[in-house]
Amino acid sequence: MSRLFRKTMTWGSVLLMLTLVLSACGGSKEKGSESSPAASPKASESAKPSESASAPEGVKLTGDFEIQYFVGGYGDAWWKEVIGEFQQLHPDLKIKESAGPKINDQMKPRWIQGSPPDFVYIDGAGSNTRQMVTDDQLLDLTDWFKTAQNSDGKLLSDMLIAQPEEYQAGKVHAVPLVFGSWGTFYDKALFKDKGWEAPKDFESFLALGDKIKADGQMSVYIHTGVYPYYINGGLLDPAIVAMNGYDTSIVKKINSLEAGVWSSEPVKKALDKIVQMRDKGFFDKGSPALNHTDSQSQWLQHKAAFIPNGLWVESEMANDTPAGFDFGFLPSITQDNGGKYVANPYVATVAIAKKAKNPDAAKAFLQFLYTEAHGKSWAELSKAPSNIKADLEATNAPALTKEASRFYNSDSTVVSPEVVIPEELVTERNNATLALTKGDITTEEWIDRMEKATEKIRSKENK
Amino acid sequence: MNNAKRAGSARMKRNVFILSFILPTLLLYLVFGIYPLFKGIYLSLFDWSGGSETYNFIGLDNFKEMMNDDVIPKTIRNDYILVFGKIIGFMLISVFFAVALTRFNIKGSGFYRTIFFIPNVLSVVVVGVLWRYVYNPNVGFLNSAISAITGKTYDFAWLGDKWSIFALLPPSIWAGVGFTIILMIAGILAIPSSLYEAAEIDGASQWRQFRLITLPLSWEQIKTSVLWIVMTTLSGSFVIVTIMTFEGGVDNATQVMGSYLYMNAYKFGKFSYGSAIGVLILILSFITTVALQKLMNRENIELT
Repeated sequence: MSRLFRKTMTWGSVLLMLTLVLSACGGSKEKGSESSPAASPKASESAKPSESASAPEGVKLTGDFEIQYFVGGYGDAWWKEVIGEFQQLHPDLKIKESAGPKINDQMKPRWIQGSPPDFVYIDGAGSNTRQMVTDDQLLDLTDWFKTAQNSDGKLLSDMLIAQPEEYQAGKVHAVPLVFGSWGTFYDKALFKDKGWEAPKDFESFLALGDKIKADGQMSVYIHTGVYPYYINGGLLDPAIVAMNGYDTSIVKKINSLEAGVWSSEPVKKALDKIVQMRDKGFFDKGSPALNHTDSQSQWLQHKAAFIPNGLWVESEMANDTPAGFDFGFLPSITQDNGGKYVANPYVATVAIAKKAKNPDAAKAFLQFLYTEAHGKSWAELSKAPSNIKADLEATNAPALTKEASRFYNSDSTVVSPEVVIPEELVTERNNATLALTKGDITTEEWIDRMEKATEKIRSKENK
Repeated sequence: MNNAKRAGSARMKRNVFILSFILPTLLLYLVFGIYPLFKGIYLSLFDWSGGSETYNFIGLDNFKEMMNDDVIPKTIRNDYILVFGKIIGFMLISVFFAVALTRFNIKGSGFYRTIFFIPNVLSVVVVGVLWRYVYNPNVGFLNSAISAITGKTYDFAWLGDKWSIFALLPPSIWAGVGFTIILMIAGILAIPSSLYEAAEIDGASQWRQFRLITLPLSWEQIKTSVLWIVMTTLSGSFVIVTIMTFEGGVDNATQVMGSYLYMNAYKFGKFSYGSAIGVLILILSFITTVALQKLMNRENIELT
């Protein structure tokens, strides 16, 4: 009798433990899903147009203010400086910085649970502005942005090189802070040595390519096949805009996932340029297996003449650059004879959380950032161009940054909007383009795959 | 009465003693094993991006989407190329070397044992990076060697081809084979030498000895090794694929289920679809393990 009792007791306690653990897990789940509908109306309340839109300096800001920023290739010197200045301006504000190279992953649980930081700089691995908009995490800034001024009293939108991307038609959720551009890079010193001239259009590029091949010292064009978005950004996207007669509206069509955009004539013509390069054997055979650093260091070692890349390449490879190497930059190489350059930008944005606890401080901080002085200090401290209009010639920004900003300010360069498509489509396009450069698929198959993949996402988003 | 009480409290003590061993492990197992397992299955029934506060219940739609996903068959194919390639490679090498190191009195067999085991101590990350250099198309060891031998520049991109998944086999085998060699050596050393002596007297050749004594009597070790390979490959092939070919090689050429799960969950914002792939991995590993176990279930040969 007593033995039976003990046995039941033992098993009973085991069972009890089990149920306790399971119910604890189950309990937290219910709480999470319950709180979301209750919290969202409150958040939309705070989305009211702020009264402080015009004069950020006048109001004394108080309370807690949390800033999340990613620290990567650009460093954090600029952030430390501007946050310091902002703190001096608003001594009663308790500013908390959540920063680091892994910050996107670290903060993710807080975004999911609905207690995000107030202000966020969206950049680096694990961040995606479009996804954050889809997930309804960012404050709708549309009305505020129309009239918002920076600390110097200038209209915020007048200060921007690239205007905010409309992730949802007609809406502003995030403001671009970093502006750089993709392009084709070469070594000026090498070209001078060999008597080669940087190509002005696709025709001269092909002619030069033949010469380089005949020279037999290096391959013409190397790229990172592990990350084919480099060749998409540096070669294909500018080509699409150039083939569309420099009409950038096609990028908007791509971004809104319009049916038939991939099978349109400009895209076909742009893909044909890749096929021409492939058939001439310009692509380095090793490219498909190389990651970005491999491809860049082999390019630096003159194993290839050209590489598609972004403006960060100079600072990224600073430690591996041989002496005498002189970075040259061309926004695009696929334009027709006598055509313009097309600069395909990449941007990193800043935004305010929809559930920010201190949206007024976040807005004031945003207005505080976008001044010409801060644009200059970004270029100097982060060694890259920013999206704030500023004359960099007099600053000690790196040469490549200045060269690029000369291109942006020139009449012979068209700055196209950035291609921002869902990550899944980015990957599909990466795969398709790489397969095209290897000759595994044809232009028609490329188009077919993209149309299908886009259709799949479109049908899902409309559901 | 008093006696019974004492006996009872002794049993009680014993139970408490046993419980104190079981409970912490059980708790940890529940929290880190069972709970994530069921949570994963649960999440696979939703449409959740991984970053959103809203979960939409969609039933089995993720699994339906999986049926129409062209990449999924490729990932399954790749996983099984790895599984069977590794089973063949591991077993051939480890049986061969285990026999060589135990049955043929090779000088310095301890030294070889250590040498074979060293890659096991290395992190897979190191192994992957090392082999990326071997395979590097323009400056790599392999292509340089081929170029030197043939006298022509050889620039094949081993990790940038349609069938690069096979290029992942040598590093995976090299990195793990030491473990199964040690396992086999232990198995063979446990076989009484009298059996071999008797076979020797009867005039059995080395090959017959291997076939009739070594193989049947170390079958348990072979079975364990094969199951170990299957389970670690299906759940862990992700690592070598990601280290060596990053996002799954050229056009998903080396994509495996694990890496595709990761891409979906953390890159495409389709966390619940990733969970559904996790369920697929679970089911396939289960089927494969059970099937292999059935297949390899020979009659146990007991030593008396």
